[in-house]
Formats: sequence, structure tokens, C-alpha cells
Amino acid sequence: MHLRLPRVLGRRLPGWLALWLGVVGIGSALRATELALAQPASGAGAGIDWQKERQFWSFQVPTSSPLPRVRDLRWSRQPLDRFILARLEVDGLSPSAGAEKRSWIRRVTLDLSGIAPTPEEVSAFLTDSRASAEAAVVERLLSSPRFGERMASLWLPLARYAEDQAHQVGEDTTFFYANAWYYRDWVIKAFNRDLPYNQFLLLQLAADRLPKGGTNELAALGFLGLGPKYYDRDRLAVKADEWEDRIDTVCRTMLGLTVACARCHDHKFEPITQEDYYALAGVFASTRMLSQTPDGFIEKDGTTAAKFRPESMHVVAEDLATNVPVFLRGKVDSPGHMVERRFLKLLSTESTRPFADGSGRRELAEAIASSQNPLTARVLVNRLWGQLMGRPLVSTASNFGHSGSAPEIPNLLDTLAVRFMENGWSVKTLVRELALSATYRQAASGADAKNPPVTRMPRRRMSIEQWRDSVLQATGELEATGGHSTDLDDPANRRRTVYARISRLKLNDLLLQFDYPDPNVHGEKRGSTTTAIQKLFFLNSPFMLERARRLVGRLDRDVGADESARVARVYQLLFNRSPDATERQLAGEFLQRPTVGELTRWQQYAQLLLVSNEFFYVD
Amino acid sequence: MSTDRIFPGSDFGLSRRQALRRMAAGFGMLGLAALAGSNSGSNSGSNSGPIGTGAGNLLAGSHSGPHFAPRAKRVIFLFMNGGPSHVDTFDPKPALLRHAGKQPEGKLFKKSQGTGYLPSPLRFDRHGQSGLEVSESLPHLARVIDDCCVIRSMHTDVPNHEPALLMMHSGNMQPIRPSIGSWLQYGLGTENQNLPGYVVLRPTPKIVVGPALWSNSFLPAQHQATSVITADMKVEKLVANIRNSHLPEAEQREQLDLLATLNRRHLAVRAGDSELEGQIRSMETAFHMQREAMDTFDISREPASVREAYGDTPFARSCLLARRLVESGVRVVTVYYVADSNQPWDTHTDHDDGHRKLCADADRPTAALIADLKQRGLLEDTLVVWGGEFGRTPYAQNDKDKKPGRDHHHTAFSTLLAGGGVRGGMSYGTSDEFGMNAQENPVHVHDLHATILHLMGLDHERLTYRYAGRDFRLTDVHGEVIRRILV
Repeated sequence: MHLRLPRVLGRRLPGWLALWLGVVGIGSALRATELALAQPASGAGAGIDWQKERQFWSFQVPTSSPLPRVRDLRWSRQPLDRFILARLEVDGLSPSAGAEKRSWIRRVTLDLSGIAPTPEEVSAFLTDSRASAEAAVVERLLSSPRFGERMASLWLPLARYAEDQAHQVGEDTTFFYANAWYYRDWVIKAFNRDLPYNQFLLLQLAADRLPKGGTNELAALGFLGLGPKYYDRDRLAVKADEWEDRIDTVCRTMLGLTVACARCHDHKFEPITQEDYYALAGVFASTRMLSQTPDGFIEKDGTTAAKFRPESMHVVAEDLATNVPVFLRGKVDSPGHMVERRFLKLLSTESTRPFADGSGRRELAEAIASSQNPLTARVLVNRLWGQLMGRPLVSTASNFGHSGSAPEIPNLLDTLAVRFMENGWSVKTLVRELALSATYRQAASGADAKNPPVTRMPRRRMSIEQWRDSVLQATGELEATGGHSTDLDDPANRRRTVYARISRLKLNDLLLQFDYPDPNVHGEKRGSTTTAIQKLFFLNSPFMLERARRLVGRLDRDVGADESARVARVYQLLFNRSPDATERQLAGEFLQRPTVGELTRWQQYAQLLLVSNEFFYVD
Repeated sequence: MSTDRIFPGSDFGLSRRQALRRMAAGFGMLGLAALAGSNSGSNSGSNSGPIGTGAGNLLAGSHSGPHFAPRAKRVIFLFMNGGPSHVDTFDPKPALLRHAGKQPEGKLFKKSQGTGYLPSPLRFDRHGQSGLEVSESLPHLARVIDDCCVIRSMHTDVPNHEPALLMMHSGNMQPIRPSIGSWLQYGLGTENQNLPGYVVLRPTPKIVVGPALWSNSFLPAQHQATSVITADMKVEKLVANIRNSHLPEAEQREQLDLLATLNRRHLAVRAGDSELEGQIRSMETAFHMQREAMDTFDISREPASVREAYGDTPFARSCLLARRLVESGVRVVTVYYVADSNQPWDTHTDHDDGHRKLCADADRPTAALIADLKQRGLLEDTLVVWGGEFGRTPYAQNDKDKKPGRDHHHTAFSTLLAGGGVRGGMSYGTSDEFGMNAQENPVHVHDLHATILHLMGLDHERLTYRYAGRDFRLTDVHGEVIRRILV
């Protein structure tokens, strides 16, 4: 394939350069370099009118709008409601009726903690007649450790969090991330302590380069340090593939930009040049992945997963700083001119300089986490809106460019983004406003309401994490243990789903079948498929049969043998309500039937309630 | 709705997502796999009843289905993991004998670590009316060679298993793209609502790369493969959760009746929520799938004569199961030839002996499958693809006291196609006189993919999916349909 350079020489050159010289030979490399110096840059976006391009809505720094005037002065509860109401009034519509209190607490508990509320939580809220009852619930949820776990369930797929690689050579585990969970724990705790979102991003890209970083925050670097390592990764072509992963994951997660499209040529839809791409590639070419302990011990390359020190974290560190050339058509054997490491020209000013601090990772992080960056806050606000309201304002949540969607109610997104930054990038503050809004409080409508506008609350299916956690809670089995990962297939695993081992090699079947995104790449969004295979799991899996048995056991303990009390209790546990007369009658008829199989009618009944639509869906 | 096409070049983002959601919701993702309802050719009685063919047809016409009349409706990939040797199977190279022991010249991707050119010890005779040459290690395939097309000029990008496997499965060397099976599902939907649309069979879980080979990647989850380990052919061992061994069917029916009643009551006060309706229907589909899958996956229902024709080996049983599956409307089946070794065809040492045994084991079931499909009238619209991720070096790889082996070789190798609109009894392309490089009419993996899609009625340039800001294709920006092998 290519010749390796002598070690001595190889060691003194930047990694990519040594490899490249190996590919093209030193002579042609020098010629290419001369060429690069002599020629005006191709792929530099020569024809781009940057001033004009920066006029596009998402590339302008957001500004706050005054609260719109509305006719109905009583409906709004939060500033955001005025924007929604104004839109409704323009369209000649009125808001949906408020959700029942019972629906609201189920919805908000699932959104903020990821677990359905207990009967006790529901009845406490129903009997709380204070005006502040809802605020009290939201405060309780925001201050619970469950909040960070729920938020991590949303963040980790964006970061394509996983604990191994998509392929393994033989039994070799040297590229596996035995202690990946340190990063997950860091994410959970970051949300729980309401770490400002700009800090949250800075630390994930450059904790090692920040004075504030320190060893306490080192695990944040797992965002980069847990990235995929591809087969034969010493080859330049494969390194180039890994840079693409880093660029794609960082840019789509944090900026909502599809920069990786510019690897082979200038972006076809966005003002992003191939030079922009390789300016960022240089940052990752100057960054290496390693495993190290908080006290600085660095694991040797080739250490297998079982041999890692228990406290080793999978992070990144500076490598020899180097620029990379534009690779024509993305091919590493066709290097063009060299590109200095720098931020995207689109989001830079005329005075922006190339990165000068080592790899430039810190400067990249600062450019992303800046309040002058027009995208960062908008992208996160949009994701949180989508999480609570069921549908983001910009439907392409990881693509805010020309090829993405325009925001519905643009001044709402921008006002929220500005206020988010003014409030110190506090995620909890934003979530509080969303959860306590009149918009969020509306009754849910079905998914097939024609083109459901963001002004309505859609009915939603639980995510697999919400569903499994809620099932385990209903049966009384859910364990609060966090930390290290466990296999979801382990019958003894009763921990929250966020603590499941996530594999790129073989994603757990349950996660796979219920739309968990492929952890090999940034998980832009989660599908919501309905398949018969999912239903076979509901009908026949050992997991479900065991949960049904446990639920019956819980009823035995909670209310004893009285059938009417048991039916009432199981309805409270699963649906947070009492059964009506018909439901009682249906239950009675079913439970009296004879059975010849091994499962009691009560077990069958418990199982069917656990897999019912009323449990699976959130009004 | 007919304007609401998911591909190609459709208006994406919101409208596509909504379309998907509406589809999925409204008609309940009837079977496991596809967005589309049944295409023509679905003859499953259970499609009526709770599912309703009307909905299926509406879906089929709405946004999925072939771009033009397909030649093949289903495809079976027989994958020889590790890479079979072209010069010992379908690409005779007498020059190797004349130059035995001579060191190969030119650019070598795998350094010659041994005694130079290694002739095949096998005799190649002409077979059938076509007179195609087949090695004596494949006597059964030789008998059906008039139904087969041998491509002798295949080439791929690298001589390493992992990237080459991924290339052959997904058109990309990194594990970040959908497999061809998922693309086909996405493009065509499923034929039988009661069965998975894309099934992967292998006797052991051990396989190089693993599930990334049949990943749906960024395509929606309903296009994912159902992976089946065939070590134990009892149906409940084959398909996860396919039956409830603790609950008699009649009682489960009663359980589901009550569930349906409660779900309908729940729906009644949420009128018109088609997603909830879809969940109800999907539960019924699952109930029916249990019985249909129990039947379809059970090869013991085959007459003894048929089972004998295939043979009684792990690969043979999978081939027979593959036929039962496609016959019942599974669109894509891949059978992996793995065993105790996760890539048995990787014969780096003792090649002559090892390879001969592998051929003997793979030969009979492959030929039986082709003959069986033909006899049932299925071969004309079922494509069978036999091959590996690359070939093997025409020169020896020597390791101390072991007999010589052959190393990985990606610049020329052979792939066998049969049925599904491919001309039988022909070879296409050539490698050079030593089998070192593809020479006439080179066929890259992308070209093979373009051709398979074409046979299935899909234009590889129009089968796109918008993801991460651009339209992705199985063939990226490459691929050319090999027109000359089409009937």
C-alpha cells in the first residue's frame, strides 16, 4: 500500500505528514508544498460573498424581540406563550384546552426525569391546590438526580457515545473503552449541577487546555476521546476518516452545521469551503486519543480493556501541532495546498486569526461556546424545545443551514436563545420556562392532525429508556445505582436504561429495535417506528414475562388478595388513575377465566396493561 | 399523496419526516419491515384480515417502490467470509503453472512472502452448453453453470477484511453507512407483512466486523435486518421471542383481545390518532407472525428429498431456509459462510487442502439452491449472489513448516450471479493471465451494487436518502450498471 518511513524520520514529523510522505514520496510532497505556496487556494470559496452569506437567518447573531401583542391576556404563563398565542391568533386559532392535571404531571415527570410519576407523586400534586403547585413539581424534578440522567439520554446519542468499536480484530480489545462511563457520569452531573451550557461545551472539547478544567473535568473529553477508531487507523486515509467523524460530530451536535459535506469539495448547499473543512481537520490531526488517570498516568497504546486501570478515562490530548493540506476530492493521495488551522470562515470576522494555541482545540471550543456564535445557543434551545414540546422549532435539529428547515416562529427561537445566554446558559432555567408554560400545558392531540404546528402539544410515544425505566418503576424494581455500565440483556439488570452498555459492535437488541440511534455516528434524531418485532418482545420476551410476574408480586404486597383493590392499584401504578366501571368489569371477566398454561390470569393481565397504549403513550 | 415521494430528490426535512410518521402511524408498519405495503406478488393470505391490503396498496403507490419494472423481486447473498480464491474456482489461470515459483512483478498490495506464483492443483473443465470453465472443486455448481454468470473482473479498494467487507455490504469502508439489504428494504418495502423483510443467517455469532455489515445505519429502523443464528434450527431458537412457551395460543388470543379492547377504548377518546391505531394493528401482525414464522422458519417441513439435495451441513440448512424465506416473501436474505472460524475462507496456510474442503461444503447447497429455485419457477425473479469480500493471491504465502497459503487479493476476483434477470452461462470481464489484476471490463463493488439495484428495479443514482445535509446513495458518486449481463 504505502511505505512506512524510517522510524527516526517518522518520529520527527507530524503524524499525517510522515504518512503522506510515505504515500506520495518526499519529492512530490515538496513539489506539492511549493505548489501550495505558489498558487491561490482552490477550495477557498473565492466566489463566496461572505457578507451576503452571513445574512442568512441562522448565521446572524440572534436578537431578542419584544413580547408580541395578543388579544387574550389571560392565557399566557411564560414569556414564550405570548409568541405562540400571537401565532395562533394570526392563524385565527385558539390554544387547546389545558391538559388534565393528571396528564400534565405524567408528561412533565417523563420529560424531566424520564420516569412516569408514582401514584404518590400524582396524588400529592392533585391535592395541592396552591397556585405554585406546578412550579413545586418542576422544582422537585429539576433538583432530582434523575434530571441529569434524563438529559444524558438525550445528549449521549448526539455525542455518539459508545464503549467499543464497530469492528474488532479477533479478540483484541485495545480500542475498547472499558471506562467510558466516566464521561456519561460527567454529563449526568453536569446537567444536575446546571453547568452553564457554554462551559459544558468548552470542557468537552478542551478541558485539558482550560485553566478551569483541571482533573475534575477531564472526563468531559470523552466527547472526543470515545470517538470511533477505525480499522487500520495508522493509515493516512483512515486517519482522514476519523477526522471526518470528529468534525461531523462536533459541528452537527454543537453548531447544527453539516461541515463534513465539505471534505471532498466545497459544500454544495452551505457557505462552507473545503478549506474550512481542512482547517478543522488540522485541529484533530493535532489531537491524539489516549486513556489516562486523574493523577496523570497514561495507559500504553495496546493496553487491552481488561488491563486498564479502573480510574483511567478515555480522553484526548495535544499531539504535535500540524496543518493539513486540502485533499483534492477528499483523496489523501491528492494533497493540495496547506490550510492553517482556524475556525469556519462563515462564523469568523475579518480579524479572526488562525489558531495559535497548540492544536487549536481550545480556540475552536471558545469559538463554538461564544455568545457571538449565532448558532450554538439556538441549536440547544431548539433541541430542548423539541424535547419538551415534542417537536423542535427547526425540524432539522442538527442542520441549521440552507439545506435544513427554517424555524417556525423565528423570533421565538431567537428570543429564547438570547435569554438563554443572558441567563448564563442555564439549561434548568430554560427547561423551567418551557415546563411551566401554557403552551406545554395544553392537552395533547394526535400525531395525524394535519401538519401539527408547534403551537400544539403532540401525543408522544415513550422512548425506550422512558418505557423500560417506567416499567421497572411500576413493578417496584428500579434501582437508582449509577456509575459503571451493565448489559441490558442481563436479567438481573434493573438499573436505569441510561446506564446500559452501548456497543458500536453490536447494539443491544432492545435498543436497536426501539429506535435507539446508531452509536457509530451523531444521532441527529430518533425515529419512532412501530414494528411487529417490537410487539413480539412485548408478547413473549422473558423480560416482559418477568415484569408481569413482579408487578403481580407488588400488588400482593401493596394491597393483598382483594381483586377490586388490586385492579384499582394496578391502574394507579401504570396509568395514574382509577379504572372506570367498564374497565373493572372487563378485568373481572378476564381474571375469572380458567387457565391451562403456566401463567396466571393475573400475570397475563399485568402484562397486557404493561404493553398497552395508555402506558406507552404520553398525553 | 403520490407527490409525497420519499426519494429521490423529494422535499425533505419536515415534510418527509411527517410523511414517514403518517405512513408509519396510519397503517401501522404492518409488517416488520417496510414502509410500503405489499407490492405485487404478495400472495399471503394473512395480508387481508386485520391488515387490510387497501392500506398496503395505497402505501406502495405513495412513496416507495421500484423506479422501473424489476427483473428480480428478491435476492439471496451467499457470502463466503474470508474471500474465496478466484484462481481455484471460476477463473482458470494455466499461466500460473507455466510460471510456477516465479515471483510476481508490478505493484503488489500484499508483499510476496513465499515461493512465487502458485498454480491451482485443480482441473478446470468446460461445462454445460455455455462451456464455462469451473474448477473440479465445484462439481455441483458446474452442473447449473448455464444458469450462472461469472464476473471475473471484480475489484475492490483494499486487501483487508474489515474495510473490504464493509465495502461489499455498504459501499463504504467505514461502518457508517446502511447495508445494501437495508437500502433495498428502504427502496422497495416488504412483500409479506407477517415476516421480516431482510433476514441475515449465520450458524455462529462469530463473524468478522459483525452487525455493522447488515446495519440500517441512518435509514429508519424498520429497514434493519433480523439477525438469525442457525446453530439450532428449532424455530423458537432461531427467532427471538417468536412464541410464548408459557402461554397456550388460545389464552394469548384472549389476552390480546382484552388488550385490543382496552386500546380501542383508549383510542376512542383520542379519535383519529392513527399512530395509536397503528400500534393496535401491529400487535395483531405480531400475533399472526408467530404462526407464519413458525411455519416459514421450519425447514423440517421440507420433504426429505429436498433436504437431501441441499445436504445436512450448517451452510446447507441455511441455504434451504433462505429459499423458504424468499418463497414466503422475505425480500433479502444473506447467508454467511462462517464456522468455528469467523472467516473460514481466509486460507493463509495449507490453502489447497483447506480451500478444496470449503468448496466441497459450499458447492452442493449453492447448486441445490439454484436448482431448487429454478424448479419452483422462482429463479427468474430471484437473484443469487455468491462470493466474498475479495479474492486470494495467485502467488503463495509461505509460513515456516506449513503448506503454502494464499493471501488477500483485491485487484481481481470472481463473483457468481444466478437468476433474477442475469444472463446465464456467461462470463463477464477478465483478469490478466495470472489473475493479478482485473483487465477487460473491470467491475468495481459499486458497479455490482448498481447492477443489483437495477435488477431489483431501482436506479442507484435515484435511490437517495437525505441525511446530515446531503443525499446519500449506496454507490456514493460511483457505480455503473453492467448492462451486458442483463437478460
